[in-house]
Amino acid sequence: MEALEGVSAEVARIFAAKHQRRQDLARLPYPEKVQAVIELQKLAATILRTRGKVVKPWSASSPRRVFDRTGI
Amino acid sequence: MKRTLEILNELEREGAFSRYAIGGAMAATFYTEPVLTFDLDVFVVLSRGTGQLISLAPVYEALRARGYGEEKQTVMIEGVPVQFLPAYNALVEEALDQAREIDYEGVPARVLRAEHLIAISLQTGRTKDRARVAMLREQASLDLNLLADILKRHQLEEKWKLWKE
Repeated sequence: MEALEGVSAEVARIFAAKHQRRQDLARLPYPEKVQAVIELQKLAATILRTRGKVVKPWSASSPRRVFDRTGI
Repeated sequence: MKRTLEILNELEREGAFSRYAIGGAMAATFYTEPVLTFDLDVFVVLSRGTGQLISLAPVYEALRARGYGEEKQTVMIEGVPVQFLPAYNALVEEALDQAREIDYEGVPARVLRAEHLIAISLQTGRTKDRARVAMLREQASLDLNLLADILKRHQLEEKWKLWKE
């Protein structure tokens, strides 16, 4: 991760933790990432519906265990 | 998505196309954190008879025969909207040829290599391609020698330098 100028140690620690979390997500097995994408679609669909845009989350199903680990 | 990949494998075996690989955001997601997308981009090498034009029509026909209908520019296959993209230039043809073989919950499939995804993104050049390149650079384990070779052969080195700044 690139060094950030002008941020406090606390904010730098938060950014570092976020960076680490993204790296952890990148290392998940692909089927778990696919399931995470479907959950993101559901979240986005709800938001987009309020703007009048209808999108359909995939109906492909997989185990839900990923969410315990990713928090998505 | 497992069942979707099984259908794609069936189509390949039956000759609707000679080869396929996942591209776009879902290919990037193989190497990075999950990225929001609503389509599964599938690049295909189309089978071509003598004197025939390259067309996705045989793919759509094979899918219609199985009961999978077209929705806008995609075909809904087992709950997943699949966007078929014929290999449209030398870079995409190479990417398909060298796509990575994967196992998805017991189903064989192919995903474009991260290095080819970067090259295709550079070539396409949209804002979201720039974001994809940044994410792949940050999170994917890249073969830098392979990437340099691809970028050189497809005249993408200058753009790569610009996007890295």
